[in-house]
Amino acid sequence: MTATADFLPGDPLLHLLRRATYGPTPESTAEIRRLGAPAWLERQLKPAAIADPVADDLVARLPLSRLTIDGVRAKVRSGALKMYGWDTMYELGCATLARSIWSERQLFEVMVDFWSNHLNVTNPSGDVWDSRQDYDRSVIRPYALGRFADLLKASARHPAMLTYLDNRFSSKAAPNENYGRELLELHTVGLGYAESDVKNAARLLTGLTVSWDDGRYRYDAGRHATGAVKVLGFRHTNTSAKGGEAAALALLDHLALHPATARRIATKLCVRFVADDPPPALVTRLAQVYLDNRTAIAPVLRALFGSAEFAASVGAKTRTPLEDIVATVRTLGYAPEKSGTQALKALYWITESAGQAPMAWAPPNGYPDVAAAWASPSGQVVRWNAHLNIAAGWWPSTLQRPASLVTAFAGTVPATYGALIDAVALRLVGRTLAPAHTTAIAAYYGRTPASALKANDAAVGWAFPYLVALLLNSPYFALR
Amino acid sequence: MSVVEACGCAPVTRRKLLAAGAAGVFAGLVGDQLATQLAFAADSSYAGDVLVLLSLRGGFDGLSAVVPAGDPGYYAARPGIAVPKSQLIGRGTYFGLNPALAPLLPFWKAGTLGAVHAVGQPAPNRSHFSAMEELERAAPGTTLRTGWLDRMTGRLGADHPFDAVSVGSARPARVLAGPAPSLGLTSIDDFKLSGEDPKRPMAATMAALYAGAPDALAQTTAMTTGALATAGQLKAAGYQPADGAAYPDTELGAALRDVARLIKADVGLLSATVDSGDWDMHENLGAAAPGKKMYDHLADLAKALAAFATDLGPAGLGRVTLVTISEFGRRVGQNGSGGLDHGYGNAMLVLGGGVRGGTVHGRWPGLAAAQLVDGDLAVTTDYRAVIGEILRARCGISDVASVFPGVRPSSLGLVSAR
Repeated sequence: MTATADFLPGDPLLHLLRRATYGPTPESTAEIRRLGAPAWLERQLKPAAIADPVADDLVARLPLSRLTIDGVRAKVRSGALKMYGWDTMYELGCATLARSIWSERQLFEVMVDFWSNHLNVTNPSGDVWDSRQDYDRSVIRPYALGRFADLLKASARHPAMLTYLDNRFSSKAAPNENYGRELLELHTVGLGYAESDVKNAARLLTGLTVSWDDGRYRYDAGRHATGAVKVLGFRHTNTSAKGGEAAALALLDHLALHPATARRIATKLCVRFVADDPPPALVTRLAQVYLDNRTAIAPVLRALFGSAEFAASVGAKTRTPLEDIVATVRTLGYAPEKSGTQALKALYWITESAGQAPMAWAPPNGYPDVAAAWASPSGQVVRWNAHLNIAAGWWPSTLQRPASLVTAFAGTVPATYGALIDAVALRLVGRTLAPAHTTAIAAYYGRTPASALKANDAAVGWAFPYLVALLLNSPYFALR
Repeated sequence: MSVVEACGCAPVTRRKLLAAGAAGVFAGLVGDQLATQLAFAADSSYAGDVLVLLSLRGGFDGLSAVVPAGDPGYYAARPGIAVPKSQLIGRGTYFGLNPALAPLLPFWKAGTLGAVHAVGQPAPNRSHFSAMEELERAAPGTTLRTGWLDRMTGRLGADHPFDAVSVGSARPARVLAGPAPSLGLTSIDDFKLSGEDPKRPMAATMAALYAGAPDALAQTTAMTTGALATAGQLKAAGYQPADGAAYPDTELGAALRDVARLIKADVGLLSATVDSGDWDMHENLGAAAPGKKMYDHLADLAKALAAFATDLGPAGLGRVTLVTISEFGRRVGQNGSGGLDHGYGNAMLVLGGGVRGGTVHGRWPGLAAAQLVDGDLAVTTDYRAVIGEILRARCGISDVASVFPGVRPSSLGLVSAR
């Protein structure tokens, strides 16, 4: 096996499922075979039309995750929540994980994760205790498959972003440049701006703040610095304090449509969906699609998934820790616990110890999205142990699992160890293994692939979860 | 945007992947042979100190630990919680130590424990979250996203996970973020594969499943199986602290015990990082007496550090420098709840065989109203300059700016040159 693609099934439909969702399940595989790739993608691009009862039920068990800012503050007043508490943010993390695993709107959830990283506001973190869940509800989700310009403007007027990047403290007397800088460097054009651009952007953004009384966004003309500004080709006379908010929004529209932003977002989408080192020609084409469609994201995704470069990229991505844990549960096909959130909490702490709880990255640049950043032995050990713990039902212990894993993954007990390994690999990773790898797994049980398998052997009894874990630990699953 | 930018790190060129070669050779062996035959991949060429970073999370009150007894501003600002002069230990002409630090007094007197006062970040930052982020990135005004310990161990040629270890959590430590190999351990004994069994060798099977795979896949797995083997050897060897060192039964005690174990086992450790939390005392900090919050926290800290120093012994301590850092100090004046809000300048403790201890280094800015920065102790020495002085004198890093961009090491005389 000399290329990463050698480890993966060649089926282009499975390639699309591995990339555009959190991992194939038996159901999603059957669905995409029935619909074909184009119709499947169009369905995923219209998530509102997809019924989502399982995820809806789980999110309903985490009611704090859906609160508005007013809602959180009302619960603080009634004593149900603590001011500066993190309960709401932990519920949001668990709800996000639940949706990643069990939502039918898979591409939408992947894009929610993508934008949550691009416009990162760390969840949980202290200063956004009342606003972080509302940021997810009213900024990220409404625009995740919409226009980037709208998403950017919504983020700029949300207390969570204004708090996280300090713009709420910025004033004409003492502009705080934190948001102005990250807006340019991370949210839009990327490195290449001048310091004067940051200063001008920071001045124009003064006045976008948060009310101390109710925690809501407000524009405070009294804090706005007037006077002409120039930012990366954008000019505004900015003569009135009253007009400061409109001027700031005009800057955001300009930045969203800047060719450097188009290229940056096209690149990041390619890094997420195509390859760690994305094909430059594809990036150039997607940037043009983005600009031609006035920052609408769905046409960019359509062009990306339909491209020859995407088709040729089998094996060019590796699962991040979060993608790995989510795909583990999806691949196993385990259903949520009948009631409560114990398993969701366990899964949340697994992603946390693996280094990638949903949306929890501390710096403003969002989680890294390339394999090299996650290539750590401690992370690998956490993930390998998680595969066994989840598959065996040890931790979490409350997911609904098949009565017999052997029957679910291999059917009737095969005649040899080789046939068993083939059957389970086909079910879990979509292909059989290279002969040397089948031999290595058989050797784990002290046998060869040709050894006869008896119904009372440990490999189809208590030791069967180890076979599942070895496959999930292997490169056949580690790759996306 | 390049891959480098997306990753937040430099390209992976430094990894010499000693372990990758080793595990490749052993890939065909079964697990117990793997565990006993894979030698420690120590880099014997490093002759500097192991730098141990102890992060005091939450905002450590350096003024309660290293008390400026000669400054009347201290007693004026803290009528309820100042440590009376009569209770101070290890007193010099101006400063004295909190009596809770008594377990460390022998090391203070022997000169292997010292302190630096009025240290901190170049600009005040009173948010825990962003102050910690800046403290560990340690590169304000640059676009670097790596952690400074990663830059340090990378500069020293780290090529093996046990070169840089954070003990206490498997989560990647922010200060170690970046391309140099590192390892996050909850503990040495817990670093293992579930289900590993001599009869069913999990790690060896994984090595076989990744053997011959493209580098991107094979390298990490080789490091993982190598690190598991090293941890397995350490575990099998057992550990008995030396010289009656009694580590307290706390997370910090357990973590420092594991750090001492790694230092003594010669696994090639260049740096270790350990956390001690819960220093965010906004209310009821308390008098200097057992049962009071700050006193008890300091006593736990002192017991763990004293056990660590005792366990290492003079020879071990001679190749270790431990420094404490915290995201910020605390307000000079106590608040209405008998606690202290977030502040700025702080004290660092420095422990090691090369330390010129028993005294408080640094320039004292004073606590009179006009000398404070928004009510906080001013910073007269950048914490990065202090660590830079240690890196240069003890770790053989002459270009400190490669770790801390734009920073020149201090010349406090805090440590002797190796």
